[in-house]
Amino acid sequence: MGVVMSYQTWQRDYAGDPSVVGSTFVLNTYPVTILGITPPGFYGDRMTDTPPDFYIPMWMEAQFGPAHPESLKNRRGANWVYLLGRVKPGTDLKQLQAKLSASLRNYLATLPLYQKQDQAKNLAESHVVLTPGGAGIENMQQEFGTGLKLLITVSALVLLIACANIANLVLVRGMARRAETSIRMALGAQRSRLIRQMLTESVVLSCLGGIAGLAVAYAGTRVLLTMAFPDARNLPIDASPSIPVLAFAFGLSLLTGLIFGVAPAWVTSHSQPAEALRGSNRTTHDHSGWVQRSLVILQAALSLVLLVGAGLMAKSLSKLENQDFGVVTENRVVAHFSPENAGYKQEQLQALYDKIEQDMHALPGVERAALSLYTPLEGNNWGEGVFIQGRPEPAVNSNIGASWLRVGPEYFDIVGHRVLRGRGITVHDTATSTPVVVVNEAFVKKFFPNGENPIGTHFGVSGMESTGDWEIVGVVSDIKYNNLRRPVRAMYFRPLLQVAHTKPEDDIRSLYAGAIMLQTKGSVDGLESQIRRTLANINPNLTLTNYNTFAGQIHGQFNQERLIARLTLMFGLLALVLAAVGLYGVTAYSVARRTPENGVRMALGANRGSVIAMVLSEAMVQAGIGLAIGIPVAWMCARFVQSQLYNVGGHDAAVLAGAIVVLAFAACTAGLIPARRAATTDPVKALRTE
Amino acid sequence: MIELRNVERSYRAGHTETWVLRRVNLTIHPWEFVTVMGPSGAGKSSLLNVLGMLDDQWKGEFDFDGEPVHAMNRKQRADLARRRIGMVFQSYHLLDDLTVAENIDLPLSYKDIPRADRQALVADTLDRFQIVGKKDLYPHQLSGGQQQLVGIARAMIHKPALLLADEPTGNLQSKQAKEIMEMFRQLNEQGTTIVQVTHSEANAAYGTRTIELRDGWVHSDTAGTVAGEAEEVQR
Repeated sequence: MGVVMSYQTWQRDYAGDPSVVGSTFVLNTYPVTILGITPPGFYGDRMTDTPPDFYIPMWMEAQFGPAHPESLKNRRGANWVYLLGRVKPGTDLKQLQAKLSASLRNYLATLPLYQKQDQAKNLAESHVVLTPGGAGIENMQQEFGTGLKLLITVSALVLLIACANIANLVLVRGMARRAETSIRMALGAQRSRLIRQMLTESVVLSCLGGIAGLAVAYAGTRVLLTMAFPDARNLPIDASPSIPVLAFAFGLSLLTGLIFGVAPAWVTSHSQPAEALRGSNRTTHDHSGWVQRSLVILQAALSLVLLVGAGLMAKSLSKLENQDFGVVTENRVVAHFSPENAGYKQEQLQALYDKIEQDMHALPGVERAALSLYTPLEGNNWGEGVFIQGRPEPAVNSNIGASWLRVGPEYFDIVGHRVLRGRGITVHDTATSTPVVVVNEAFVKKFFPNGENPIGTHFGVSGMESTGDWEIVGVVSDIKYNNLRRPVRAMYFRPLLQVAHTKPEDDIRSLYAGAIMLQTKGSVDGLESQIRRTLANINPNLTLTNYNTFAGQIHGQFNQERLIARLTLMFGLLALVLAAVGLYGVTAYSVARRTPENGVRMALGANRGSVIAMVLSEAMVQAGIGLAIGIPVAWMCARFVQSQLYNVGGHDAAVLAGAIVVLAFAACTAGLIPARRAATTDPVKALRTE
Repeated sequence: MIELRNVERSYRAGHTETWVLRRVNLTIHPWEFVTVMGPSGAGKSSLLNVLGMLDDQWKGEFDFDGEPVHAMNRKQRADLARRRIGMVFQSYHLLDDLTVAENIDLPLSYKDIPRADRQALVADTLDRFQIVGKKDLYPHQLSGGQQQLVGIARAMIHKPALLLADEPTGNLQSKQAKEIMEMFRQLNEQGTTIVQVTHSEANAAYGTRTIELRDGWVHSDTAGTVAGEAEEVQR
């Protein structure tokens, strides 16, 4: 039997040792030969933060799972295979898609489910959609797509704000050099030449900015990937910017330099030389004034939009993280392992589980220990359709789904499920005792909506013939297991080793527990290595595949939300700083230009307060207009982030008010600095410059 | 009204200190019309800035109507100047984007005067200086003489006891200059103490006393004769 090892594993675990190829490894207790190493960039059929270490031929699946009486390939209910293919050149994809759809329907028609009368419509509508597979299965695009699109929009807005600042900077430089420009024009310089000169300057400026930006991007990408995939070991994403990315970023900075350099250059080159040569005057009224102010207003409006977005995301994340999952996380740890991969047969499991629970209880500091198929909020879910005894057969498309898992006796206490009615799973619920289940409140609400007593009711999951399989013996409180954004699903819990009476072969896979949950007295040093050692002592093939605190596991569920929220917040603050800098720049420039005017005002009796108020009010008027434009825009844009929010309306008045206050404060600070400078104008000096 | 004792002013540029006023001792009585003359760089404008309390970097003692200016802080000096002093500049210093009426109103806007009272005062001043017809014009729509007239009206609106004028006719034609100087004479006759800086002998002739500065020192002062006359007029 031969398998292929991934390049990353070869490098990480075997330091690229060439003798690995051809050597024999024991994989899931079976000896296999390493046939080769994948190319460095190969990451399997999809992009994931935990790419495979080994690639195993499809035919070995049956042998590798000793628990299964037969291959998963023969289980029609298990949809687990992805199909990747290379299309011949010149193939019509639409025709191919139609052919594959026909094949799918032909196959489905052989299944009993689709042979029922009311399934004809579903069968007719079943079809295949071919998607580009050049980059593998697009799971990450689907998972991160919406968030990334949002981030791209946010980045574009920040870029726009930065561009406005560049435009203002170039404009101010042009204004400051108005006399020089006028002299040049008076001496015969052509307008086109002056524009060219200014454009050159802004392009050089933006190129320098682009180069600096690339350095920031290089470091930023690494930070970003660490934030997005904190637990990734072999993330198949290269943080080094590629040539197309470099070219795009550089081209963009060049383009912005050109676009935002043209307008100021045009305005400056159209100043009247005679007027400029006459010297400074006592007014801020010039051709560029309105352009500058408009840019500042635009910045203020855009940054309000971004701040509102950031506020909504932050509030949503906070609500997500602080929602009541129903769990208890203090002093709880989750250890994942795989008795299936250690080669255990079904009949060996009872002894193994007894031994594990016994040895875990014996560890110092451990109060409770329980095995389970999986644990809350680890990203796992098993679900089936429920058929309740004494009720008519549910219609084909009726919603009868419930999630389920197998749990050990102390599981409910460790995780935080409170037993509300009846009893929980106990040590007496063994493989040979009466098959029982415990359901959650959501299950009761869904299947017993009229207040019927669920205790004593029987149900099964393999059609109407299975309705007598299990008896409900208890109801426990709700806990979120899977989707954080959606209400708690209906769930039922089964003892670890009871096999369903109907279709027992479908029940074997679930007998293999995947996790051990422990409750400790306070924190226990070295618990992970103790668990690892305990398992290894039972069987060296029992390895710990993952270890985390329960709180850490839940925390990890928010990685994507946290990343998006943090980045949006970061961009929002960046936009705020840029807008504040822009406002500061324009106000400072205005103050500098109006030094003589301020001198006159102070000579005529204006005190510091009135000069500060005058300058500040002008800055605040610009921010105010920006807010007036930004508020409705933010209000309208809220629907674009709505899909990313949890329990927060897109139109959240508190977030909007917060963003307004933050922006107003930033504008006030940005305006106050030049205003204070204006107030310290020495009238004598100011009048002398006249 | 004004008493300067050993007033000195210097500017520091790098390691060198340039003196623009040296031990100036000066007494100016109410109703005087003093002309300060001297070559460029003699310290005329610096003296005017000290008197106008625009400058507070000088040394020495300065009493204004018995109040020790040298002991005041910047705010107190600004308050005193705002109440008692008006200034007229060579280049008028009107604000280009304000109308004539708004320019004249400017000093009042820095005082706690109700808007209605201010409007009345502005109307009175426009009437007094016969520029009612120009109240809605902007400075660039006026001739130099008219602009300076507005400058004087602005300086006089809050009825200052002392009017300081720095080369008030420096940018004007002789006919306009004469009209402005007649205006100053009238104001002086009505009781305003005036200190003007000028290069013009003709303008100096309107004054009652001439002080000549050279290199920051008071070189000559026609006080004694004219000051006595001013005191007599006041009595």
